[in-house]
Amino acid sequence: MSCCPLRLHAATRSALVAVTLACLPLVATADEWGTIKGRFTFGGAVPTPIELKADKDVEVCGKHKLLNEEMVVAADKGVANVVIFVRDKGVKIHPDLAATKSEKIVLDNKNCRFEPHVAFVQTGQTLVLKNSDTVGHNSNVATIKNPPSNSLIPAGGETTMTLSSDEAIPAQITCNIHPWMKSWLVVRPNPYAAVSKADGTFEIKNVPAGAELELQLWHEKAGYVGEVTIGGKAEKIAKGRKKVKVTAGDNDLGEMVLDASLFNK
Amino acid sequence: MIKARHNIVLLSATAWLLLVAVGCGPTPSASFRPNMVEATKQRLTVDQERQVATVLLAMFGTPDDPVALPETGLDESKLRLAAGPVRSDIVGRKNGLYREHCAHCHGVTGDALGPTAAFLNPYPRDYRPGVFKFKSTERADKPTHADLVRVLHNGIAGTSMPSFALLPEIQVDALAEYVKYLTIRGETELALMRAFFELDDDAGGKLPETREFLVYETLTPAAEKWRAAADAEIQVPEMPSDIDLVASIAKGKELFYGDKANCVKCHGVTGLGDGQANDYDDWNKAIVEVEKEVKSGAAKAREASTAGMSPDELAEHRAQLAWLEKFHGVLDGDALAPRTIPPRNLRHGIYRGGRRPLDLYYRIHAGINGAPMPAAKGTVPPEDIWHIVNYVRSLPYELDGELGADRPMVARDRF
Repeated sequence: MSCCPLRLHAATRSALVAVTLACLPLVATADEWGTIKGRFTFGGAVPTPIELKADKDVEVCGKHKLLNEEMVVAADKGVANVVIFVRDKGVKIHPDLAATKSEKIVLDNKNCRFEPHVAFVQTGQTLVLKNSDTVGHNSNVATIKNPPSNSLIPAGGETTMTLSSDEAIPAQITCNIHPWMKSWLVVRPNPYAAVSKADGTFEIKNVPAGAELELQLWHEKAGYVGEVTIGGKAEKIAKGRKKVKVTAGDNDLGEMVLDASLFNK
Repeated sequence: MIKARHNIVLLSATAWLLLVAVGCGPTPSASFRPNMVEATKQRLTVDQERQVATVLLAMFGTPDDPVALPETGLDESKLRLAAGPVRSDIVGRKNGLYREHCAHCHGVTGDALGPTAAFLNPYPRDYRPGVFKFKSTERADKPTHADLVRVLHNGIAGTSMPSFALLPEIQVDALAEYVKYLTIRGETELALMRAFFELDDDAGGKLPETREFLVYETLTPAAEKWRAAADAEIQVPEMPSDIDLVASIAKGKELFYGDKANCVKCHGVTGLGDGQANDYDDWNKAIVEVEKEVKSGAAKAREASTAGMSPDELAEHRAQLAWLEKFHGVLDGDALAPRTIPPRNLRHGIYRGGRRPLDLYYRIHAGINGAPMPAAKGTVPPEDIWHIVNYVRSLPYELDGELGADRPMVARDRF
């Protein structure tokens, strides 16, 4: 009689073990996420930034040193404003990132330039077009799949917009009043995109691990980046598409040299 | 002798055949021109160009024999009246209206590459991107059918677009429908050409031949926007009937020069349209951008030394040269020399989109699609838009002296 509880206990225990064993791999993949990071550097002599001439609203815009931002290369050769995103549209989204969609993305008209130069917004996310200057601007958003728009943004004012479709290539945003002002808008259906910082580094956090994903690389001067050199080895990546197998934790793609000839357009 | 006669018979038969083929025979049937600027920009292969042409032929037919799938929402009987060569049908009704009245400027394809296009300023409208300026709907929306009919009725003041008010209503209606057909076809073509880039690598450069992709994902979105236009009309609050016109004009003037509406930045302190004047509209900007790419690409390619190139690099270099060469030729044949778009001189009293106060309200509220003119909607409240309308309408009649002694030099004094 006394063995009964024990036997029961043993049965429950083995059943539990079986369940746990069966579930483990599934649970493990579902919970594993990786970070894709790396750094873009320039394969060539650091180009000298070209100064822009403000010939409209000179009394305001003329005060600021305006530079052509098509090619921003740091002294240590880091390439800024390289766009990198996960191409797969049906990719699973980390629960912590679901909330990012309700954050507002601000594209500011500040000191007669756009800040940031390349903005990233998810579909359905609110984009705030803001004007911190004392002169009026307008933001001409040349999207392809989303309806294009062009709104006046008075001094100190702002307007908001949301985009419902993703865009295959970043859309140009210009100001018709100040023709030197240019920026780009990346529109993706998920949070997995990044724009390289001034030092050339980028990081895409919490990407589902285990699967092979396709990254897409873009830069305004190069278009889709067709070649990267990693560890001295040039790698052709047609249409800027690079496959990576994401593992849990850090996935450091290392230093990716972008040859100067890529930007010769 | 016999042989010689035989030769004469043969010769005359050949001459007759030649005549039929070249001269006095029936006119060769018209065909749509592919959008070569976009095809080349997207670096489509000859096979991919053919895929697009085949799909378009199946979905839209030919200029002589148009097809309207139900998803287009178009009335095929109206299209038949407008399409084809100019002729009378069995009941004596005029057919081929588009080719009689429109094609010489707008082109058989609606690509604004008709034989007279290059001689006009502004150039005729290219329907293919699906962008129209003068309408009663919000900036990004399509015009309503009535908007197209109004443009046909009134023509466009200050341009080469004449009025077709003398045509029977049924013909104007058929032409408006045909313009929609050409623009839906043009937008579908653009979507197809752009779709190649997004294909996965394992697609082997072939578009999916499914109804889902070709019709529902490509044609329907282009057509749907035309159906939605009817519900996108701008709601305009009426101008208060007891409005004090003098006070309203003064308020409008303040807004015109103020940095909220900021009209002055482009239309100039004098209203002569001499503010920001080195901008392009979307149609011309597209050509300017590819021209820049082709020119600088050619310059770089000429500089490049092939000496140290690997076979792969050499092949790539040659492919790039061939592409540049092709693009150069395409721009020569399929694009007109780009022109800047001057902001409107508001002292002429010529309003392209219509001279009714309501038309000016639409232009200010929604901006002008395809042009640099931004939308005041959301920034300038409706009553203020009416004040600006009143000021703008007073501009052609404002006395020179009212500009003030300190007015800057105006364009007409400069030259």
